[in-house]
Amino acid sequence: MDKQLDLLQGTLDMLILKAVSLGPLHGYGILLRIQQISKDRLEIQQGSLYPALYRLEHQGWITSEWGESENKRKAKYYRLAAGKRKLQTEAEKWNRMADVIAGILQSTPEEV
Amino acid sequence: MMPNFAVGIMTLWSRIRSWVQAMVRRSRMEREMDAELRFHIEAFAEDLVRSGVPRGEAQRRARIEFGGVERAKEECREARGIHFIDSLLQDLRFGVRMLRKNLGFTATAVLALALGIGVNTTVFTAFDALTMRPRAVKDPDRLVGVYRTKEGESRDALSYPDYVYYRDHSKTLSDLAMFGFGMGVTTSDLPPSSPDDMPRMASAIGFHLPQLLQGSGRPLMCFYVSGNYFRLLGAHPAAGRLFLPEDDQPGARPVVVLSGNFWRSQFHSSPNVIGSTIHLNRVPFTIVGVTPVDYLGTLPMVPVLWAPIAVRPILGSGTRESLENRSERAGIVYGHLKAGVSLADAEAELNVLASQLRAAFPEIERNSGVSVVSEREFAHMDSEGWPVVAAAMGAVALLLLIACANVASLLLARAATRRREIGVRLSLGATRRRLLQQLLIESSLIAFLAGAVGLPMASWGLHLLVAEISSSLPSYWGSIALQATPDIRIFAYTVLISLLTGVAFGLTPALQSLKTDVNSALKDSGSMLGERLSKSRLRNILIVAQVAACLVLLINSALLLRGSQRALRIEPGFDSKHVVFLELYTPALSGYSEAELLHLGRQLRTELGGLAGITSVTLASRAPFAGGNRFVPVGTAKAGPPVNDAGEDQRPAVSYSYVLPNYFETLGIPIVRGRSFTLQEAEGEAPVAIVSEAMARRFWPGQDPIGKRLAIGSAHGQPPFPGETAPFFPESEVVGVAQDVRNLSLSKVDDSYLYLPLSQSNRLMGVILLRTKGNTSSLLTLLGGAVRRVDANLPVLAAPLDWAVSFDPYFVISRIGGILSSIVGALGLFLACLGVYGMVGYSVVERTHEIGIRMALGAQRQQVLGLVLRESARPMLFGTVIGIAVSAAIARLISAILFGLNPMDAISFAGVSLLLIAVALFAGWLPARRAMQVDPMVALRYE
Repeated sequence: MDKQLDLLQGTLDMLILKAVSLGPLHGYGILLRIQQISKDRLEIQQGSLYPALYRLEHQGWITSEWGESENKRKAKYYRLAAGKRKLQTEAEKWNRMADVIAGILQSTPEEV
Repeated sequence: MMPNFAVGIMTLWSRIRSWVQAMVRRSRMEREMDAELRFHIEAFAEDLVRSGVPRGEAQRRARIEFGGVERAKEECREARGIHFIDSLLQDLRFGVRMLRKNLGFTATAVLALALGIGVNTTVFTAFDALTMRPRAVKDPDRLVGVYRTKEGESRDALSYPDYVYYRDHSKTLSDLAMFGFGMGVTTSDLPPSSPDDMPRMASAIGFHLPQLLQGSGRPLMCFYVSGNYFRLLGAHPAAGRLFLPEDDQPGARPVVVLSGNFWRSQFHSSPNVIGSTIHLNRVPFTIVGVTPVDYLGTLPMVPVLWAPIAVRPILGSGTRESLENRSERAGIVYGHLKAGVSLADAEAELNVLASQLRAAFPEIERNSGVSVVSEREFAHMDSEGWPVVAAAMGAVALLLLIACANVASLLLARAATRRREIGVRLSLGATRRRLLQQLLIESSLIAFLAGAVGLPMASWGLHLLVAEISSSLPSYWGSIALQATPDIRIFAYTVLISLLTGVAFGLTPALQSLKTDVNSALKDSGSMLGERLSKSRLRNILIVAQVAACLVLLINSALLLRGSQRALRIEPGFDSKHVVFLELYTPALSGYSEAELLHLGRQLRTELGGLAGITSVTLASRAPFAGGNRFVPVGTAKAGPPVNDAGEDQRPAVSYSYVLPNYFETLGIPIVRGRSFTLQEAEGEAPVAIVSEAMARRFWPGQDPIGKRLAIGSAHGQPPFPGETAPFFPESEVVGVAQDVRNLSLSKVDDSYLYLPLSQSNRLMGVILLRTKGNTSSLLTLLGGAVRRVDANLPVLAAPLDWAVSFDPYFVISRIGGILSSIVGALGLFLACLGVYGMVGYSVVERTHEIGIRMALGAQRQQVLGLVLRESARPMLFGTVIGIAVSAAIARLISAILFGLNPMDAISFAGVSLLLIAVALFAGWLPARRAMQVDPMVALRYE
């Protein structure tokens, strides 16, 4: 798919949690991972990533510590804290929502 | 699955932690945020370089793709929850800047509120310390006092044998202890007394207490307590030990406990004093211990020493018999309610015990009982004290009201001038919430600043008050110990009131300003007359309230001061200017034998009579006004006294004095009919009497009283004082009529007064009265020398008779009330003037534009001044009318203590009102002058 999709409202948190759940990452790494997993089909405002990270950390879902990056530079790494369960419930909620939406969109006149 | 609330608590905890970290390590967080974002952009740029973009271009693209770094940072901060605090700090800084910019406004508002807060905290703390604060004793909630009660009489002390009976038989009270005053204790072991410093403030306002004559003996205030008293109160000694029940047995070795204050001032707190001997009334006592400095027992007063009740007969306080005498009121009884017992239970039980006593001992009055009251606090507020206290509290509360009204009107005035600023900020996109927050912060800042100034003010005021009260007490009364730290609850409360005022009045105009639309505020059309109406009405109401409250205080102070000034000029009917009275400090209680005392009295009179400047010396059982009033039932019938069911004398009780024949001549009281006593009549206890004119009219209206007979007293009359007999003359002949005088109260001539001859046996108590040729007060040092020549250990108090006016309770109330309300009223006037000044000043600023137009159209400077002043004069006059009306109502209530001053006294009402209006107009005139200096051209261009 050529065209990138704008991120739906409220899904960035979930994506960050998912990205971090696969292993500790720094902010730029999270961006790359989401783009990599989504095969570059999602457009993420880079500036909005950090407020989201700070909010998630403030709420205790993720924690951060300073470490060394691949090219030997100091970087702040985020890892999942209490967010495992949060991710689970968010994902369930999202899947249910997606099912419902998909169901509605696939409905045919006979079904109604 | 983890329970939800656990997750909630966890995230809450992490929020708090991250917030605290953010707040505490603010700069570190900023640094880290910076580094993190820089890392992101640089890493991104590296990737771009790696994919073949030139370095410079890569960095540029990385920054563009990232977007606004500062915005991201701000959002990050907000995500951390520090945004609110940030804006609060910002507003606080802005508020401080605004207050500093308007220094005049700030200083006025802070000073006004600080005065209100300081004075209220002082007075309410003092009141609380006296009445509400629990005593510092063991279990104050269960501490009770037991008093003798009788219908129509105030609570009184109990006799010692009654106390012992209650102590041994009560099942509802534990540890009943007794407390009594000990007058007339002196010592020869210490140097003679030096005269007390006259309390300056007290004498400046007309209060004089009798002075201890220089060089005469040293009286020591002694409190008699039962052996279990200190145990009941849970007291601990500062040195040695306190009393034990064994110390309080007849025949026990005489021991005494010193107060910490006396120990410190006389013995430099030396521990060697314990076990040493001190001679009290010539009897050796062993000092066994010391109470802590400022230790108060059941009175808010520190004595010089404490002695067991059992030593009273040894010290000569009455005779040995006095402890066994059931009619002598020896002291107040204190105890603890046992667990689960109510006051009513205890009172019921003690009244059963009291009726057993009445049955067993006929000499006890049949219709007296006992009452049990809580002694948790020092003072009982009885119905007599309340009006005075309420008036004082009301006066200071009025001051806080004035201060708050003052600040409110200042805030209102200022809000009007800030409409433009608010309009600008709104149009630049400030949120309304943010603007409100900022206005509230400014108001709160004022209140807190006022609190910061008011607290030291209260502390200083209390020190002044306590120092003045304790220096007003002569040293022979012991010392008073009052809490002198401002009560923090009261302080917080007054600050809260100021805060609420600030918020309410800071917010009202703020809300109003916020409602107006941006455009009109920017055009400043709000300063046109019509739109300003509602706000200026509110401001006018505040001026009305301030002027009225302040006028009430000032008129009342004028009435009270003028009333008490009249009291000083009242002619009592005797020559108070040339008479000095000397009171031997209760020698009858000081271990002298009767013969010694009679000899002493004769010697003293001879010695004093020989002094230059003294024309006559006499003796009486009491001096006019000076307390010690004695009553006796008197009738005209020869038959036995009529009695009611309770066995009480039904004849009218008449005040009397025992006097020597030259009493009338010494005091300058004319005998209008008949004659004075003869010496023989006095020596021989002849059945003769002299009556006052009023008494003659009352007993024999329209008849000549000379030669008439009176039946005075009865066979079992109780002596009013130990060492004196009760008068009993079944048939006494009236030999003379004395002119009416004011013996009892300054405010009126005695209803009836009886003079009886002073016989030998009654000369043990009483006062010596001296008539002098010249100035009485210069004589006092001379008298000290004469007394010392007769007996150096004899403590003698002396006072010119015209000082005695200070003992009149109405005088005391009207003086103190007048001075208090004039201080508070003057502060109120000052505040009200500040209010008027501020209001007129702001109204001038606000109307600069309008004034400019008027002047451009040809208005004269005088007309403009009149215009500005008229606006403030109206609420002032209205406030004056209200103030006069309220004062008139109060004046009617206090007319009893005005010594005949017309309660509608023109000078007080008209004079004070005119003064107030003049001062307030002046306060308005100062800023109004600025209106005259307005340059029309500048004003029209103004803003």
